[in-house]
Amino acid sequence: MDIQATAPLPAAARADVTLQVLMIGLGSEILAIRTESVREIIDPVPLTLVPGARSFLPALINVRGNVIPLADIALRLGLPRGPETPDTRFVVVEIEVDGDPIIVGLIADKVFEVTEVQSAQSLPTPRIGARWNPDFIQFMIRWGDEFVLMPDLELLLS
Amino acid sequence: MAAILTVDDSPSIRQMVKMVLSSAGHDVAEAGNGAEGLEKAKAQRFDLVLTDLNMPVMNGIALIKNLRQLPALTGTPIVFLTTESDDAMKMEAKQAGATGWITKPFKPEQLHAVVAKLVRA
Amino acid sequence: MDLDPAEVFRQEAAELLESLESALLDLGQKPGDGELVDAAFRALHTIKGSGAMFGFDRVASFTHDFETAFDLIRKGKIAANHEIVTLSLEAKDHIRLLIEDPISTSEAPGQRIVSNLQKLLAGDGAATVSPAAMAAGPAESAIPPGGQQGWRIRIAFAPEVMRNGANPLALLDDLRELGQCTITANTDAVPELSALEPLDCLISWSVELAADCTRADIEDVFLFVRDEMDLVIEPLGDAEAAVVPEPPGLHPEVAQQQDSTPTRPATSAPTHSAERDAADRNDAVRRTDAKGQTVRVQAERLDELMDRVGELVIVQARLSQIAHAGADLAIKAIAEEIERLASGLRDSTMGVRMVPMGSLFGRFRRLIHDLSRDLGKPVEFVTVGEDTELDKTMIERLADPLVHLIRNAIDHGIESPERRATSGKAATGRIELSARYVGAQVLVTVQDDGAGLDTARIRAKAEESGLLALGAPMSDHDIHQFLFHPGFSTAKTVSALSGRGVGMDVVKRTIEAMRGTIDVSTVAGKGSSMTLRLPLTLAIIDGLLVRVGRSRYIIPLSAIEECIELTPEIEARARGRNMLDVRGDLVPFLKLRQLFCEPGDPKPFQKIVIVTIGETRVGLVLDQIIGSHQTVIKTLSKLQADAAMFSGATIIGDGSVALILDVAQLLTMSHTQRSAERPAEAA
Repeated sequence: MDIQATAPLPAAARADVTLQVLMIGLGSEILAIRTESVREIIDPVPLTLVPGARSFLPALINVRGNVIPLADIALRLGLPRGPETPDTRFVVVEIEVDGDPIIVGLIADKVFEVTEVQSAQSLPTPRIGARWNPDFIQFMIRWGDEFVLMPDLELLLS
Repeated sequence: MAAILTVDDSPSIRQMVKMVLSSAGHDVAEAGNGAEGLEKAKAQRFDLVLTDLNMPVMNGIALIKNLRQLPALTGTPIVFLTTESDDAMKMEAKQAGATGWITKPFKPEQLHAVVAKLVRA
Repeated sequence: MDLDPAEVFRQEAAELLESLESALLDLGQKPGDGELVDAAFRALHTIKGSGAMFGFDRVASFTHDFETAFDLIRKGKIAANHEIVTLSLEAKDHIRLLIEDPISTSEAPGQRIVSNLQKLLAGDGAATVSPAAMAAGPAESAIPPGGQQGWRIRIAFAPEVMRNGANPLALLDDLRELGQCTITANTDAVPELSALEPLDCLISWSVELAADCTRADIEDVFLFVRDEMDLVIEPLGDAEAAVVPEPPGLHPEVAQQQDSTPTRPATSAPTHSAERDAADRNDAVRRTDAKGQTVRVQAERLDELMDRVGELVIVQARLSQIAHAGADLAIKAIAEEIERLASGLRDSTMGVRMVPMGSLFGRFRRLIHDLSRDLGKPVEFVTVGEDTELDKTMIERLADPLVHLIRNAIDHGIESPERRATSGKAATGRIELSARYVGAQVLVTVQDDGAGLDTARIRAKAEESGLLALGAPMSDHDIHQFLFHPGFSTAKTVSALSGRGVGMDVVKRTIEAMRGTIDVSTVAGKGSSMTLRLPLTLAIIDGLLVRVGRSRYIIPLSAIEECIELTPEIEARARGRNMLDVRGDLVPFLKLRQLFCEPGDPKPFQKIVIVTIGETRVGLVLDQIIGSHQTVIKTLSKLQADAAMFSGATIIGDGSVALILDVAQLLTMSHTQRSAERPAEAA
């Protein structure tokens, strides 16, 4: 497993924690999803649109006999998302909503890799100038040359 | 590992026997009375039979006598579980052809010990 | 997956105590009945034995004396009588307490019961109840005398010992575990090969054991075969020479003993076993006679089973689809067979979960009795259809809603005796609780013969609380629906029992959560009834698979009245209103393509599926009817709680997901749509 980002700790040392994350691409942005919430990554399956549902939860999918909602988090974040390509994947995550575990599929334009990042490398979310809705982003973190977004999935999906 | 038949009208005893012996890797079949036990023993080969004595339909003594009539069970250890502090009953079971006995209540280790003693590779 | 055996014991003991009680009660009538004594003995015996196994020591020691007493009765040493039965019933209650609360149940009642039993039995001539202590033999556990380092052991088994499952070599191995052994075999008794009986043990052994163990340790090795062998144990160096005994089988007197019938318990054993054989036969008869033998199963296991069956049904649907798409007749035949089996399995599994409504109805007798007394309204309570079965989970969930409805019926529905007298009714009111099957639904109705709903007052109340514009036109049916509005109450005076407006909205929510509906019907002066329509089960329904635009949906078959084609004539007669003239009846309809925002225009000759719930009908206009479908309901996740038009989803033959239409919701939508339209129509 790669360990990226080994720059020295900032002087104002916060508690440094190693986070294991899955990097996914949404349009031109990269998001980091904590691996403990990731159940599996699947190739796209047929969708069933749900009339009257909220726009960022447009459809249902069948994952091994379970019917789960599919979330368009790009839409929720206000990010542009590319058309479906051979790289498109559904990332199945388990989150907690009001104390109950809920399984949701996330549409990702691309799945990069599972990696580790140091929490000490994180930056506060800028409130201005972002192309995405900052309310749903916990913080940003450095990954190689990139800054990736660490979303708050619970908030994002409820 | 050994194939073991436990015959008891008490599901909790059967369950305990099964738990203890399965955890040691044995294959445990269950029967709720002597008649069922006899049917199972006719259908499948067992390395050891554990039976209660006091059961409905066919009691343990009758079961032991019947089992000893089966050619396949000549020489197979048959152990009875007994709560009787009753030597007459124990004698009767022994004379019917039982190999040994375990006095209830017993601890899992005792059951292991007896099974290990009687079932050897 | 394994249950805690102690929990299994508790359940088992509860059943045993029940059968003990019924045996004891019967025994009170027929004190001489050996079968009943046997049954009581066996129940006590198992409770004692299993109780001791699973740490219920107080249960075991208390039960012991009763077990012994019944053993004595069984053996004819004492006679069963009324006092013993009465005392045993008390004992049974005490055992139950000891099992339920092994720690804090008081000691005193048990002691009293046991001492009474002792007295009773002593009076009967049986001096002592305590059994002979297990003859463990004199505990001679001397270690070898000083200076001696071990034992000389002489072993000779009875020839048949191996037939009985003992393994002499294994026993010698056990000796080796005690210490260094020098073993000498004596094969003198082994005959020529031609005369050899391979299962006879004809070898005897002499063992010198160099170990610092006790005599008892050595005897323990031979515990099970002690009576089938000669065993001589002496300290090493004590004996002059190691004389290996001859196998006892060859001793004339031993041989003779084997030929004769069992000698040891000669006096009692034969009669004993004859009795027991008779008892066994009786038992066998009783077992087959016993009606409805039951097995206890944890509710979660049933749910799990239902889930598995659901998965099977889904996979079977896929198999059928693939089989029918192909040309292979053999596969088609297998798919059909599996379909038949899966559907049978589904029905049996659902059957296992069914419980008669009677178990629920019984609970209301007391409620009605108390309400009737408190309100001073005499009420006759009638139940119909107690045998109607419903899924166990649903029966539990129905209890509270029915309490509310029955309460309302007595409190609001039934008039005071005086008022009843003025309208020429009998002073005693009548409440009927009934259940019956209608198709795949169960209808549960609470009906009273009271004054009926006061529609004008409900309307006034709705207008007062701003739910309805003053004088706005509305059907009585719709007005009655305000009863289910949160916080709505029409009682002029708030009574202690009902009329606070809490309840009816909760009732409706509970019933809807079970995919059920409530119909209200009322006749002024004659009474009113509330009918709950419930699906038979929560897990699987028969559905109709349909297509709207690109998507497929399931409509519950139980709600469907008929399917017709939307011909240009029908459409022309609708003249742009959302009303269809179906053979002279005006039926409102919903165009599902519009409702579901499907783009594009439909092809001509769409289909109309007319669904109905209670008195309300609505036509659903859709593109195609695909066929019937066994639908395993998957609930929608919390995240989609806002998708109100659907009650769930299912997986169809090709593995994709289809939404299940919530017909009750669609009907409500069609109503609001019509209500909104009506003023325009009137203009």
